[in-house]
Amino acid sequence: PPETRAATPARTRSGPAPVTDVAKLCVCDLLVAQCDVNCCCDPDCSAADFSLFTTCSVPIVTGDNRLCSQKAAIYSLDVEANPPERIFKLIDQVNPSIFCIHATNYKQALYFNSPEMPTSENFDQLLKKFGSATFSAEPDSWNMNTDAQNPADTNETYRYEYGVPIQTVDAFLRLPSPVVSPWCSDANPAAFLVNQATKCSRSVSVEKCGSIQAVSMLFYINSSILAVNITVQSVVIQSLNGMRTSLNGSDVLRLPMILDELCINVVLGVSYHITYTDAGEIIEAAASFVLGAIKKEALSIQQSFEISFTQVNTKPVPLSGNPGYVVGLPVRAGFRPQGYPFPVEILFAALNTNKYGQFTILQSTSSQDCLAAQGARTPILFGYNMVSGCNLRITAAMKCQPLAQTLLDLLKGQSFPEYVASFGNSQAHDVLDWVPITHLHTSEQRIYNTFQSSCQIPVSLEIAVKWTKYGSLVNPQARIVNVTATITSTTLKQLPSGRERTIPITSSVVFTDVSSPAEPGYKAWPTINAKLPFDFFFPFV
Amino acid sequence: PKILNTRHQLPSLPLQILFYVNGVYYIFYFLATLAVIVYKSEVFSYPDDFLAPDLALLLIMAVLEVLRLYLGSKGNLTEDETPLGLSLALTVGSVILSVYFLAWQTYVLRAEVVLNAVLLFTYGLESVLKVVAIAAFVS
Repeated sequence: PPETRAATPARTRSGPAPVTDVAKLCVCDLLVAQCDVNCCCDPDCSAADFSLFTTCSVPIVTGDNRLCSQKAAIYSLDVEANPPERIFKLIDQVNPSIFCIHATNYKQALYFNSPEMPTSENFDQLLKKFGSATFSAEPDSWNMNTDAQNPADTNETYRYEYGVPIQTVDAFLRLPSPVVSPWCSDANPAAFLVNQATKCSRSVSVEKCGSIQAVSMLFYINSSILAVNITVQSVVIQSLNGMRTSLNGSDVLRLPMILDELCINVVLGVSYHITYTDAGEIIEAAASFVLGAIKKEALSIQQSFEISFTQVNTKPVPLSGNPGYVVGLPVRAGFRPQGYPFPVEILFAALNTNKYGQFTILQSTSSQDCLAAQGARTPILFGYNMVSGCNLRITAAMKCQPLAQTLLDLLKGQSFPEYVASFGNSQAHDVLDWVPITHLHTSEQRIYNTFQSSCQIPVSLEIAVKWTKYGSLVNPQARIVNVTATITSTTLKQLPSGRERTIPITSSVVFTDVSSPAEPGYKAWPTINAKLPFDFFFPFV
Repeated sequence: PKILNTRHQLPSLPLQILFYVNGVYYIFYFLATLAVIVYKSEVFSYPDDFLAPDLALLLIMAVLEVLRLYLGSKGNLTEDETPLGLSLALTVGSVILSVYFLAWQTYVLRAEVVLNAVLLFTYGLESVLKVVAIAAFVS
C-alpha cells in the first residue's frame, strides 16, 4: 500500500565521499591517533616527533599528474635546523607536456566511481546487471549437465569404490559405533570394502523392551541395500550366563518381547557379510545375529557389530593388504602342493588358515633358554624388523647331530614355508604371485679352517625380505620380490667333560626397500604437424 | 585611356588571403583534432556516448567550414554581399563549435587549446574583414 511505502522512504546510502584535497591526503598515516614513523604528512605527529624522523617516506602528494596544473603538497625535513623540523609546502605543479589535460567535462574520468549501494529497491536491477551465472538464483541451468551423467535410478545396481558408504533405500547401511562416548551412535555408515568391528553400549530397560528399535532384529535388516535384501544368515541365542546356542530355523524374525520379567530376543551382536563382484556391485548381503536377554535391573547392554566383505566366487582368505602389503599385517606364506605344475586347485596356505601362523620366527621368552623355549613363535609382520633369540647352554654330553637338528627346528619352526605371497591379496591359484624362499647356508668359520667334518650347528637365522614399491606414484603398493633365509652355522668344538658353554642363538627378520627411484613418464614433445592440405595442388594433382 | 581605378576594385585582397590561409589551416586543424581524439580514446577512459558527440561535431564543423569558405570566397570575388553575409552567419556557428572544442568537450588537452585559440583568432580577423567588405559592397 502506498501509505506504508511513503512512511518508510528508502534512503540510498552511498559510500564515504572521496578525499581529494591534497593537503589532507596522507598515505603513510596508518595508525589512528598515533604518530607513524617517518610519515611527514601524519597529522597526529607533533614537532617533537618530526625532530626524530630521518627521512620523509612520502615526499610528495599530488593529484592526477596528467592534468596540466594540479596542486601538490611537498613534505621534507630540514636537517640543518636544530632540532630538525618538517617543511610543508603547497604548490601548483605544472605538467609541461602538450598532451596534458587542460580541462575535463567528464566527472568520472579522473576519479574512481562510488558504486551504487544496493537497497531493497535496486537490488534486482543490480543483480541482473552485475550478477552472472555465479550468483544466479536458478540452479536449473547448470544442473541439467550433471543429470545427464547420473541417470541411475534406485533400482539399478550401484558400483562402489573403496570407502564409499553403502547406500540403502532410505539412507546408508548403519554400523552403530561409539563416537566420543561409549554409547552407540547409529549414524556411522558402513563403507565398502572396509572391514570394521565395533563395540558400543546402548541404554535399555525392560519396560521399554519392545519400543527400543535398536535392540530389535528388524532394525538391522529392514533397510535393503538398493536391490539386495538383507537376509538372516544365522541366529545365535545367548543365555544369561553366556552360553550360546545356534538356532536352526533362521528365517523367523524374532522380535524383543517380555517374558518372565526378562526381555528376550534383544540384539547383542550383528555381523554383516556382504558379497560383491569385482565390478564393484553388491550382490548379496547376509546378517548373523546374536540375541540375548536382559534382566530387569540392567540399564545398558553392550552390542558388537561387524561387517566383512567377500568377493564372489572366492574363498575368504584373510588379506594382508589389497593389493600391496599393509605395514603391520602378517606376511602370507605357504607351500606348493606336490604334483605341481599340474593344474590343481589347492590353496597354498591350506595348511594354516590362521594368517598369523603362516610365517613365524622364534619368540624370545623370559627364560632365555633355548631348549626350554616350548616352541613359542611370533608371526612375521610386514615392515617390522624383528630380532629374537635365546641362549643355548652346551654341555659336554650333548651330541652334535641331534643338537643341530633341534636348533634347526627351533629356528625355523615346525612348518617353515616354501613360498611367500608377493602381494597382500595374492590368491592361491595365481602361481606367479608367490615368491620362493631362497635358502643360504654360511659358516662362521674362516676359510683357513677347511675341515668341515667337525660339527656344524646353526646359530642364527636371518630372513631378509626385499620389497619394492609397485604401481602408481601417488599410491604405491608394497610388493615382496625376494625372500632369503640365511642360516649361519658355527663349529661346535668338543668340550672337556664338566665344562659348559653358552652361545647365543639369534633369528631376525629385516625388510629392505629395494624400489628403484621413480621415473615419472613424460608425454612426448608435441611435434609440429605441418602438412599441406589435401588438395593444395588442386588443378595438377 | 582608362586606368584601372583601385577605388572601384572592391574585392578585399586581405580577406581572400585570409580565406586561403584559413582553408589550409583548417585541413591541418581537422586532421590534428581527429588524431588527438584517437589518442584520447586510447589513453583515457572515453566511453562511447561521450566520444560520439565529439566526433559528430567535428564532422559538422568541417562541413560548415567548407561551406563558409566557399560562400565567403564567392561573395568576396563577385562583390556580392549576400553570400558574404551568409558566410558571416556561418562563422558564428563555427565560432560556437570552436569554443565547444576549446572548453566543453570531454577532454581538453593543451594542444587542443592552442589549435582552437589560433582558429578563433583567425575567425575573429575574418569576421572583421568580412564586415568591412560588406560595408564596401553595400555602399
